[in-house]
Amino acid sequence: MSLRGAKRRGNLITYTISPFGRNDSEFMKRPSMKRKMNLSTTCKPMMVVNIGGLTLKNPVMTASGTFGYGEEYAPYLDIDRLGAVIVKGISLEPRAGNPPPRIMETPCGMLNAIGLENPGVNIFINEKLPFLRKLKAAVIVNVYGETIDEFKKVAEILSSTAGVHGLEINISCPNVRKGGMIFGADPDMAHEVTKEVKRVTELPVIVKLTPNVTDICLIAESVEDAGADAISLINTLTGMSVDIEQRTPHLGNITGGLSGPAIKPIALRMVWQVVKRVKIPVIGVGGIVTARDALEFLIVGARAVQIGTANFINPRATLDIIDGIENYLTSHNIPDVNELIGTLNEGGKIC
Amino acid sequence: MNGIIVKNKRIADGHFLLSIKLSGSFQTPRPGQFVMVRDKGHSDPLLGRPFSVYAFERRETKVIVEILYKVVGKGTLFLSMLKRGDSLEIFGPYGHAFDVFPHAEKVVLISGGIGIAPIAFLASNYRRIVDAGNVELIFYCGAKTAVSLVEVEKIKELSSDIFISTDDGSIGYHGVITDVFSKNVSMYDPENSIIYACGPGPMLKRLSDLLVKNPIPCHVLIEERMACGVGACLGCTVRSKDKNGKDAHVRVCKDGPVFNIEDIAWS
Repeated sequence: MSLRGAKRRGNLITYTISPFGRNDSEFMKRPSMKRKMNLSTTCKPMMVVNIGGLTLKNPVMTASGTFGYGEEYAPYLDIDRLGAVIVKGISLEPRAGNPPPRIMETPCGMLNAIGLENPGVNIFINEKLPFLRKLKAAVIVNVYGETIDEFKKVAEILSSTAGVHGLEINISCPNVRKGGMIFGADPDMAHEVTKEVKRVTELPVIVKLTPNVTDICLIAESVEDAGADAISLINTLTGMSVDIEQRTPHLGNITGGLSGPAIKPIALRMVWQVVKRVKIPVIGVGGIVTARDALEFLIVGARAVQIGTANFINPRATLDIIDGIENYLTSHNIPDVNELIGTLNEGGKIC
Repeated sequence: MNGIIVKNKRIADGHFLLSIKLSGSFQTPRPGQFVMVRDKGHSDPLLGRPFSVYAFERRETKVIVEILYKVVGKGTLFLSMLKRGDSLEIFGPYGHAFDVFPHAEKVVLISGGIGIAPIAFLASNYRRIVDAGNVELIFYCGAKTAVSLVEVEKIKELSSDIFISTDDGSIGYHGVITDVFSKNVSMYDPENSIIYACGPGPMLKRLSDLLVKNPIPCHVLIEERMACGVGACLGCTVRSKDKNGKDAHVRVCKDGPVFNIEDIAWS
């Protein structure tokens, strides 16, 4: 918040708040904000949330594909403070990924066509997991497959490995056995992959939905029915960008996934819709940059949030968001984050 | 880290020198490393832009980081409109620095256009880093036209051995700088010479082809669009050849931006 024109009235200091905020958590920490609070400032609100059997110390996670395998960002922030780290998607065999160029900025966002480059599950376990095991944050592994069998094999291998606390199933990928149709675009395929993965693992299974569908609520209901422990949405929206001088696509893959602030209204709307249709926890992801954004998702009913593109513009985005949520709860006399979740007043403003 | 702009000077048409003052806790960059620069107040442009460090000065409690940039798109256009006193977020220094070779007798420095920035930083440090008085610095600087040969006057303070070319012949050799270098390449003994190069992709590819028959060690600094800058998102990868000569991908931000020229699959 940019605070212009502070005026003192008795013991109260009032500010004109600029909507073009710069650093929300700084605003929330102002001494005048704390003086307004009824709660003792030494009593921190409860931030623990339960996601389908997984207990997280706070509702903030990193989104798959934006935080590598933890080590890359470790020099720049205290990762132990996160609720969970969701690592980049892992497949059975190593994948080289798409030809460059793989990214392109667009207004208030970016397209990516990385192509799910990853070292494969065996190298992940041997070379990447040891670092993750040392973290105090929960470790959730995003899983990718081109067939149901591959999903099952990866899930099975990860489930028998120490240090993995949950799985996130990426169903935004094509099913090569069904002509490349996206698993998450068809309720029956989404159902089948969820059910089959649940058969081979005791770990909590989160299913990550693609928004590139006609009705995401149908997919959500279907994976809940199949036994998913939680749902995360949204993955990226398919988009493209063109170089008008070369007359070529900006991405080597032509199309890519759009992420960043531009997609937040869509993600928020879809989370709001899905929460009404399922009973299992919903994790909101899509364009969350600040604590204010995260709070919108919690208010519409998300049990937790994932932070993705924001990490690129502020390596400490996740920690600023945790602090900002805590400060909001304190200043609004809400002792437990779970009391905020799903409290959207759909009747409009409270006068 | 928040920085304050000390200078944002237009040095030629579309070319700028940006000086930023930062807290003394900013780590000293080594030549070849880069910083991500972002204006916190905007969501558009969203991402930071990577720039090689051109110059660095440590004063008592502050540091000054300098970059050279050319206006090529939205990010650099916004940057060019900022003024002294404006704030910018600077992340870094990131990436691998140039290796230095204490026993090199001849250090060949090849730059194309704005690629002169990290090359000049390296050259100005080389004698100090290597701590040997005998090293000979030889510059090959090319650009599209005379005005885009920026900061070449600074290079003249480091060495009198400078070759210049412009695509349009407005100054120096009329043609590409790799043609000038190819005429002299046999003068450099692979046993005691090292080449550093930074410039457009086609220039580096021509250099790579030339060095196949003249295997002088050569380190290049390359650029690619970046998002995270720390090796997490895999957005900035380029094709390379692994140890077995097979196709692989390397991250320009984390595995580079400095690479052995023969490790990159040029196209």
